[in-house]
Amino acid sequence: MGIAAAEFESVAEVEIGVPDRLRQLNDDISGAIDRAYQALVQITNGERSIGAGTIWHPAGLILTNAHVVRDETPNVTLNDGRSFPAQVLYYNAELDLAALNIEATDLPTIEPGDSKELKPGEWVMALGHPWGIRNAVSGGIVIGMGAEMPDIPFSSREWVVVSLHMRPGHSGGPLIDTAGRLVGINTMISGPDVGVAIPVHVVKKFLKDSMA
Amino acid sequence: MTVLNELSNAMANAVETVGASLVRVEGRKRMSATGVVWNSDGVIVTASHVVTRDEELHIGLPNGETVTASLVGRDPTTDVAVLRTDAKNLSVPHWAGGDGLKVGHLVLALGRPGQNVLATLGVVSSIAEEWHTPAGGKIDYYLQTDVTMYPGFSGGPLVGVGGEIYGINSSTLLRGVSVTIPTTTIAPIVETLLKHGKLRRGYLGVGSQPVRLPAALEQQLGQETGLLLVAVEPNSPAEKGGLMLGDVIVALDGHPVRVPDELLAGLTGEKVGKDAKLKLVRGGQLLELNVTVGERQ
Repeated sequence: MGIAAAEFESVAEVEIGVPDRLRQLNDDISGAIDRAYQALVQITNGERSIGAGTIWHPAGLILTNAHVVRDETPNVTLNDGRSFPAQVLYYNAELDLAALNIEATDLPTIEPGDSKELKPGEWVMALGHPWGIRNAVSGGIVIGMGAEMPDIPFSSREWVVVSLHMRPGHSGGPLIDTAGRLVGINTMISGPDVGVAIPVHVVKKFLKDSMA
Repeated sequence: MTVLNELSNAMANAVETVGASLVRVEGRKRMSATGVVWNSDGVIVTASHVVTRDEELHIGLPNGETVTASLVGRDPTTDVAVLRTDAKNLSVPHWAGGDGLKVGHLVLALGRPGQNVLATLGVVSSIAEEWHTPAGGKIDYYLQTDVTMYPGFSGGPLVGVGGEIYGINSSTLLRGVSVTIPTTTIAPIVETLLKHGKLRRGYLGVGSQPVRLPAALEQQLGQETGLLLVAVEPNSPAEKGGLMLGDVIVALDGHPVRVPDELLAGLTGEKVGKDAKLKLVRGGQLLELNVTVGERQ
């Protein structure tokens, strides 16, 4: 005999003695993620290679990694389900950054944080579509800033190195801080437990240099 | 401020505070590792396995300076090495015992394999009783975490969210798990190494291998194996005490001896010069011998 779902109380109704502050902690995490989700997009090239992207400007500017963009007109799917063919505005393989434009307005964005002020030990979260699983989140802390981590390729560049599980499909998605601010663009993995993101101040410079 | 923000700041502050006491240890061909300031006299604690040479050691200080260091001594059995530098004004961190630390607590592992402090987060996976490492070292309590030991993190501290140090992390004491050598184990080792330059270890002068005991003895002693002596060095404490080739050691001072590591672990420094009671099987009979333990050179 089956058990009706109605016989179970929802988690929120069960008193399991969790201190209020820990409930608050969970709410803080989900709140930051909920806001950031709105600016997370999917990028596809034809039938294959699902990557992520981050809405940068309400008027349709999308940021992603250069390695996510394989077609001249990649397809961008927003979190509300709408899908758009995108135009590649700027592309820099060396920085592994690309800016796309879609014909849309009033898009939700994530407030940029100060990636120069990120410190080892700070909590961060990566959003993306690992292995094609949509809107997944992983959390961890900043291991270090800069390019000092052993075994990291392109060590002459600036990176945010994080101890969380980044997988194919995270690329181009947002890395956010505890306040839900954008601090980096997820870019690659270095070993199973090290994620690497491009700091948002490098992204800003890329856009500024490209526009000039 | 949100609770998440508070937690995040607390962790970053702990990294910053303890980071002021972390040094880079250049003591092997492969990449550098990490050490922690022990006291204001320039004494540094690190993992023994990251210091593969005894000379030409260098320490990278938090201020970016690189200074020379000398090896005070090492204990490979617990993977602890002690170095000394002439550097003054090093920041001494808060070394803590394990009281109050519980399975599930958040902990940080820190490293300084390069110029900057690196951090990673995990939880305490297991706390258990005193144990002996495979190399025979005695560790006050077993402390395992799920922190990822990145290259160069060995010798670095396990840090609580309040910035207290519970010990130093080793990636080689047990393969495949992150084990911490507790502060309470490190302290007497550092003291002994500073005083004597080495740890005393007991010595018998035997070569041995485990053998299965006859069924009757197995039942009587409650152990499956003993140590068959396959070599007894001339003039060794073992020979002087009357041990012979073919004897099978089954206990040392009341503790069962089933494998060579248990004999090694039992021959601690404080037994040097004293009589140890060996229980053994000779010609099918159990017998006890007193052997004066020597010192391993």
